[in-house]
Amino acid sequence: MKMFSVSHKTAFVVDHCPYMAESCRQQVECDVLTKSRGQGMIPLAPVSKSLWTCAVECSMEYCRILYDVYPLKKLLMSALAAVGPPNPQEDPECCSVLHGLVAAVESLCKITEYQHEARTTLMDTADRVANRGRIICLTNAKSDTHVRMLEDCVQETILEQNKMAAGSDRLMPIQQCELVLVHIFPQGEDTLVSDRPKKEVSSLLTSEVHSVRAGRHLATKLNILVQQHFDLASTTITNIPMKEEQHANTSANYDVELLHHRDAHLEFFKSGDLHMAGSTSRDSGLKETVTLKWCTPRTNSVELHYCTGAYRISPTDVNSRPSSCLTNFLLNGRSVLLEQPRKSGSKVISHMLSSHGGEIFLHVLNSTRSTLEDPPSISEGCGGRVTDYRITDFGEFMRENRLTPVPESPDTEASGKPPAERAKAQLERYTRYWPMIISQTTIFNMQAVVPLANLIVKESLSEEDLLTCQKTVYNLVDMERKNDPLPISTVGSRGKGPKRDEQYRIMWNELETLVKTHVAGSERHQRVLDCIIACRSKPPEEEERKKRGRKREDKEDKAEKSINKDSEDKSWQESERLKGVVERVKEEQGESEVIKDSPDSPEPLNKKPRLEEIQLPEKAKGPVSLLTMWTNRITVANSRKHQEFAGRISSVNNKAELYQHLKDENGMDLHENGKATR
Amino acid sequence: MPTVVLMDASLSMTRPVSLEQCSEELQRKNLAVAGLTMLFEHMANNYRLEFTSLVAFSSLWELLVPFTRDYNTLQEALNNLEDYDKTCLESALHGVSNVVQQEWGHACPTQVVLVTDGSLGIGKGSLRHSLQTLKGRPEDKKFPLPFPFPAKLFVMCIANAEELQMTDTMHNLEQLLQLNGGDGQIFTMEGQLCLKSVQMFTQIMLIDLYPDFPAVLRCGNLASDVQVFPRPEPVFLDEEIDPMPRHILTDLEIVGFIEIGDISSPPVMSRHLVLPIAVNKEVDDVGPGTTEEPEEETSANQQAGKVPNFCVLLHGSLKVEGMVALVQLGPEWYGMLYSQADSKKKSNLMMSLFEPGPEPLPWLGKVSQLGPISDAAENPYGEDDSKSPFPLQPKIKRSYAQNVTVWIKASGLQTDVQKILRNARKLPEKTQTFYKELNRLRKAALAFGFWELLKGVAELLERECTLLPDTAHPDAAFQLSHAAKQLKLASTGDSQYAAFDQNINPMHTDFSGGGAGM
Repeated sequence: MKMFSVSHKTAFVVDHCPYMAESCRQQVECDVLTKSRGQGMIPLAPVSKSLWTCAVECSMEYCRILYDVYPLKKLLMSALAAVGPPNPQEDPECCSVLHGLVAAVESLCKITEYQHEARTTLMDTADRVANRGRIICLTNAKSDTHVRMLEDCVQETILEQNKMAAGSDRLMPIQQCELVLVHIFPQGEDTLVSDRPKKEVSSLLTSEVHSVRAGRHLATKLNILVQQHFDLASTTITNIPMKEEQHANTSANYDVELLHHRDAHLEFFKSGDLHMAGSTSRDSGLKETVTLKWCTPRTNSVELHYCTGAYRISPTDVNSRPSSCLTNFLLNGRSVLLEQPRKSGSKVISHMLSSHGGEIFLHVLNSTRSTLEDPPSISEGCGGRVTDYRITDFGEFMRENRLTPVPESPDTEASGKPPAERAKAQLERYTRYWPMIISQTTIFNMQAVVPLANLIVKESLSEEDLLTCQKTVYNLVDMERKNDPLPISTVGSRGKGPKRDEQYRIMWNELETLVKTHVAGSERHQRVLDCIIACRSKPPEEEERKKRGRKREDKEDKAEKSINKDSEDKSWQESERLKGVVERVKEEQGESEVIKDSPDSPEPLNKKPRLEEIQLPEKAKGPVSLLTMWTNRITVANSRKHQEFAGRISSVNNKAELYQHLKDENGMDLHENGKATR
Repeated sequence: MPTVVLMDASLSMTRPVSLEQCSEELQRKNLAVAGLTMLFEHMANNYRLEFTSLVAFSSLWELLVPFTRDYNTLQEALNNLEDYDKTCLESALHGVSNVVQQEWGHACPTQVVLVTDGSLGIGKGSLRHSLQTLKGRPEDKKFPLPFPFPAKLFVMCIANAEELQMTDTMHNLEQLLQLNGGDGQIFTMEGQLCLKSVQMFTQIMLIDLYPDFPAVLRCGNLASDVQVFPRPEPVFLDEEIDPMPRHILTDLEIVGFIEIGDISSPPVMSRHLVLPIAVNKEVDDVGPGTTEEPEEETSANQQAGKVPNFCVLLHGSLKVEGMVALVQLGPEWYGMLYSQADSKKKSNLMMSLFEPGPEPLPWLGKVSQLGPISDAAENPYGEDDSKSPFPLQPKIKRSYAQNVTVWIKASGLQTDVQKILRNARKLPEKTQTFYKELNRLRKAALAFGFWELLKGVAELLERECTLLPDTAHPDAAFQLSHAAKQLKLASTGDSQYAAFDQNINPMHTDFSGGGAGM
């Protein structure tokens, strides 16, 4: 159905004229005497509804079904005149249904929220938003001429209103209006108005007339109308086992009829086997319903069914015992599979009833052959032969990255990113360094690293988080001192694998890689890195000894794990050479930079200034690449080792003018050139 | 998507091709077979998962090969094709329609490749005749197009365009395409009809028939190149407001994860396998979606198998944890990734597409409003995973989830009246429920303008009062007559007593004490 079809707006006009106070002449026994009592008692006289009461309750029922099935995007204006039955003594002219019809047309002209929204979002193509509507008028007409008079009235009002609407922002001209006149007359009387199928009164207005007896006939009529107007279809669930009210240990089978969007029967319609699917006609051929059989539920909510549609339902007889039993059963969270009876006797599960948060849906399950049958297993494809994926760790990662509805509030919108974007940003942070297989990582196989690894991915760290991270690092230092074994993978290496101190070096490197990817996040992230760098520095002689043997290996190791591989690869040769230098520098400073072994120890004095120096140039441009940081660090270190180049000292923005003496000799010309060559 | 090859086997297909260069005599049929052979070879090499069937037609039609992935069978049937009488397309299209519906139902997009020489029959049963008599046909004799399933129609004409334009064939074929909603294409041959031009034209056709859909699946910084099979089709929303088709992005970005129980069998538009592919620059002819490659490529394949791939990791964890990954397919368009088990041993990463829109599943709410759990003040899943923020509750309860009053059937009214009477007999213990039910009835009766009922119930209560046994609590009589009096007053329509928002309050008696209080 198009969004802005005639069903977008419906206005009910219920005639409030004196005649509607007439009884419908269908009596309702409200004094039902039970056998035990009432012997010899005279039951009270039955009551009967007025035409007005019938009309009102049937329009309410129409709305009830509608709101159940379409809680959104379908609007209904019920012009139920001020509550109360009409006064038979009143002057018929005063409360003519004409006023109601005029009011209905006016209300159809009013732009709805959805139309407004659609118009504003479409902008250039706003004219695609149509204004169509339907008026359902429940009245008692005097004759066919009277009906024609009502139609003319609506037609004229539309023309009038359209003229007015053309010049207004809050009004829209009506492009199409469907008038449904329902003529109601009491039981036992002959109708003065004849039924008439839909006809075009003008290009704007179509009209149809239904002549119905009040009471249950009217109810049936409106039930059919709501189905026609809103593309509904009916399904009868049969064979529902239910405990008897009186005898709790016996059960009988009941049927319940539900209404829902007709697309739930699409498969039947298209294949033309609507009748084969157990469709029956009830109420003397007025109504069609598809019968589906209840399958005693297997409770398994973790199964993901292949479902091609889900449609809200509304029970036709909402308060009947079978209906409320079924709906309560479903609302309690259970699902029921429904079986489509087939001639061949084979069983096909075609639908499922299930509730989601207090709403019941009819799910359509796919019952045809799938083009995806017999696919190759994932283990046969790329990466399928790798056996040590960190499945459990990724499971944990998924649990941490589960989603939750965030209430819409002006605050969250003001703060920029919508929640879904924040979720993506969190995924980005969490995966900056995330080795996929166990043999690729050491730190993620160590329980001791968990607190730090969990915290460092956070957007911001609290002082407490920082302490935890630092503690984790000290703990690792402790482990190293005690020479605890590390869960280093020996895959691919011959013999026993790397030596213990080599293992620790790999571990520290990996930890550094992890933390470095988050360093741009906040100052506290940086402090975690500082802590690691400070703690992992070794006594000079040990460091010297190790360095000789490990250079090659270190290079491979680092390059693999680094986030910006390419740049790293190119620059590595150089930086590796410089690294030795820088480490020596660090060791020299090391005397003052005491290894902190308690979180309470004060910050090393010379840490802060060094930090600032390093971050200077790139800080403003957002995240700093690993290479830049490293180069900066080395530059700073180098600068302390030699006398600064004279040109650099006198440079402005790192640019020094060459051949300055020529300028003095030759004047402005060359000066200009000099600038241009920069 | 499955393909039906509809092969013209009429006598006109045996017309020889006039060839100057070639000494061998060729029929148009030979050219068609050559083209189809190429097509089948291409499929066998690149799209092993596609299903194809072969239908031959003349004045009758016959399903030669039902849908299969076995291209040898197709080739064999093609080679043994016999020649029959005249072309009668309409009945053949009916046949195709039946074949497809029986196999795949009505939701599966299918493509039909009509192979013909462009002479579409004469007189009754010819395409021209069918198209001329489109209107005014009875319901059971409708023209088979448009197909009841989403279908693309490709016409492979073993004739060149000039030849077709001399007659009205081209026009008729175009009309045929339009009847099918315009989705499809007519391919004609360029220049001379010979084997070479058939090959060229099949090449061009293949690109249209089986476009690739290479994509990248991302979860933050983890990513994998993937092939999505079958290729997702563009989707049309409300054709009035938004007539542009929507395509899914080639960058599939994971938003977050949800438990299977929480997403609970959502309705989906289509399902697709997500197959990781190795982007191998050295071996160019490793087709995407290739699962079993010829032997010389096995080593490359084995190599790819040993490189860790994000899809495999994701699949493994989704399967173990019983979760799905929510994935963004485009602006306001989402889908889910999950592990689909075909059998005990085989399982795969599958992607289902939701209907485009900001809120595809009412029980999840707006997808853009789904955020990380770290945003919430306390973990909505509980510390021990005992809770869940889903499903969302609708703001207004549905009629079946609340106590609505419907009196259309007499039984509904009787039940409500009986309920009041039952409570009336248990006064004063049931004072609260008695008045609650009474007020519900009063409200409904006023809303429906059903004053007669108010009078009736008032009389019933008065009678109950007279029937009270001697042992009854004195309060019962007071409450009953009070209630009856109030109902009677309301039934007069007097605005003082019949206001909709008013309630009848229990009468304050010496007996009722605090218990029956307000």
